[in-house]
Amino acid sequence: MITFSNVSLIYPHSTKTILEDLSCEIAEGEMVLVMGETGSGKSSLLRLINGLVPHHTGGILAGDISVDGISTRSVKPGALAHLVGIVGQNPINGFVTDIVEEELAFGMEALNFPSETMRKRVEEVLDLLSLNSVRDRSISTLSGGEQQRVAIGAALVMHPRVLVLDEPTSALDPIAAEEVLSVLHRLVHDLSVTVIIAEHRLERVIQFVDRIIYIEGDGSTAIGSAEEILKSAELVPPIVRLARALNLSEIGTSVREVRRLTEDIRAREFLSDHIHSIERRPAINISHISISYEGHSALKSATAIIGAGEIVAVMGRNGAGKSSLLHAIVGLLSPHSGDVLVNGIDPQTLQGATRRRAIGYVPQEPSDLLFKQSVEAECTQADHDNEIAPGSTFSLLNRLVPNISLSTHPHDLSEGQRLALVLSIVLSGNPEILVLDEPTRGLDYRAKSLFIKALQEFATTFNRPVIIATHDVELVAELAHRVLFLAEGEIVADGSTLDVLLSSPAFAPQVSKVMSPKPWLTVSDVLHNVGTV
Amino acid sequence: MKRPLHPLTLWLWAILLAIGVVAADSALIALAVVGVAAIIVWARADGSVWNRSFALALRIGALILAIRTIVGILIGVPIPGTTLFRIPILNLPSWMPGIRVGGAVTLERLSSSIHEGIIIATLIALFGAATSLTSPHKLLRVMPYFIYEIGITLVIAASLLPQIASSLRRIRTAQKLRGIEVRGIRTLALPLLEESLTRSLQLAASMDSRGYGVSRKRSRYRPIRWNSDDSMVIALTTGLSIAMIMSAG
Repeated sequence: MITFSNVSLIYPHSTKTILEDLSCEIAEGEMVLVMGETGSGKSSLLRLINGLVPHHTGGILAGDISVDGISTRSVKPGALAHLVGIVGQNPINGFVTDIVEEELAFGMEALNFPSETMRKRVEEVLDLLSLNSVRDRSISTLSGGEQQRVAIGAALVMHPRVLVLDEPTSALDPIAAEEVLSVLHRLVHDLSVTVIIAEHRLERVIQFVDRIIYIEGDGSTAIGSAEEILKSAELVPPIVRLARALNLSEIGTSVREVRRLTEDIRAREFLSDHIHSIERRPAINISHISISYEGHSALKSATAIIGAGEIVAVMGRNGAGKSSLLHAIVGLLSPHSGDVLVNGIDPQTLQGATRRRAIGYVPQEPSDLLFKQSVEAECTQADHDNEIAPGSTFSLLNRLVPNISLSTHPHDLSEGQRLALVLSIVLSGNPEILVLDEPTRGLDYRAKSLFIKALQEFATTFNRPVIIATHDVELVAELAHRVLFLAEGEIVADGSTLDVLLSSPAFAPQVSKVMSPKPWLTVSDVLHNVGTV
Repeated sequence: MKRPLHPLTLWLWAILLAIGVVAADSALIALAVVGVAAIIVWARADGSVWNRSFALALRIGALILAIRTIVGILIGVPIPGTTLFRIPILNLPSWMPGIRVGGAVTLERLSSSIHEGIIIATLIALFGAATSLTSPHKLLRVMPYFIYEIGITLVIAASLLPQIASSLRRIRTAQKLRGIEVRGIRTLALPLLEESLTRSLQLAASMDSRGYGVSRKRSRYRPIRWNSDDSMVIALTTGLSIAMIMSAG
């Protein structure tokens, strides 16, 4: 279906080779995963398939890509619209109209399809993606998962033979992500659509894919079955790390396979660890807060006490009230009733330097906080703002991610580096509490583990609380002590990470699914227990 | 009730009423028209984002009314009549003859300022009503093709505006929470520009890869037809508008 022959790609004004001599064939009805570190050229590879690279972005391309016999060199992306459907990283940015049905019809209108064909195909897609109930809604009012499905639908109405998706689940909660992936699985199996997908959270997609294209930092690539690639890869999902740690004879990509390989370990008896509950000095006091916007209630009488040194994850589906809770804690929203006290202070009264010392906040888009022309200027500004010795912020950054050049423009940093920069700026204020809103979108496993280490260090060395809203169950399993689970604006579960994650199959991390009924969440939990026998 | 009217009907309705209001030149009639528009917007609201534009138009109208009134009190040619109160006259340099700031405020001067303000505010409210009942997207769909091409560019530009507003709000909040109190234009402009550029590029890439502009002709999903309802609404409004014009004469 798709043939890459000796493809190399380099962008002008850049010394970095994005792709080096890639040759491969992707057959009809195959599902291929593109993986690699952040910034390694996954998106570029995807956009080569319909010619957006280089027609739209520029860049020097050697070799040739052909889709169903058509070379992407010779035609513009639009001429492949009936053949290749592409869904970008941020679907909301690619929507042209404002109503679901019209958005689905947009591509067909552009290609002058007869009206009857359009009606039929729109109905088909609405059914296939279960979007019928929202067909005449405005797109901006839909949830993240629904928007993602509309974007996929808008590509599918053209009956493409190839579907290309760039991180389709990165903004979705585990349940919505599963819905999207099962749709893709169905397309591959029932309609023989060729699917190419890029994703960082391998644990979500790995069991569905046939082959993997692994892009190294220097642009070289490796292609093979999931087992072949993951055997030697550096970025691997927890399930593969588990297999490596236990020295299993082979690695598996699905929970079912690895369960078969670990039967003897699960059969053994282990002393159950007694978990000591630690007495913690209360740091954040949330009592009966309710928040509503425009008649819609976002938070209903939420109550929690968060102790010093505690790392708390706030979880729940898209729109469950996570952001509202966070905003109330940092003093951005004033609750209708109830109140929040951070170390005895009402967060809404904080300003300027006192605020920086009381609350450190990392927003959903870390780059919102960056406005200087270089990393050096950002760090100097932070030193100056917080009246600390020049160079302190940069040395903090250097400990998080070594080897960032001082003169780099913040926009040119990779996702992980940018988050590290923002985190060091926020930490340079030496805040009493740290609050983070969905910080790990777009981070690869290595960046994520550095990030986890930094937060744990902050919480334990200074004995200060960390609150983090996230969809990433693997992150929560590794990092958090406690989970607040929100649904429809109410805190429906509040307990230790172990209890909360194990009680819901959709939110259980991979290792616990493999090891169930043993109460282990992470690879290190397993090693800790298995090692003691 | 909810059977949709043709988008052009609602725009013609607004334009005809606007002509009537200007011709009648009466604050009472203008206020009555705003009332009618408000009832219709309330009754026909379909919950889309554009519905808010009527409220926004009312707010802009009120602002204009207030400004016009204040300016009317402060500056202006003296109109003789019942003096309500006096404010001190500001001495202006000799090179600004014919303009007087302050002085006697007469009932006539005040009422004529308010009157003008109300007429302007009514016109704005009428267009707000038309926008809130038919999104510009819908209006474009019934336009001839040669307008469509330019129009879609305008719609994309227009759809960026609310996005920019929301990004601006988000960035300001984030910076406030970092404790940045003194905000220069640079601290806001850089993240905003970066984001808007990325968005526009992504939108262009998405339109490109979905075949926009490949075919010279475009077809339409769900063509919109002109019904008898539409003719009736237009006939009634035309009558009303003529009546208003006559009342002025």
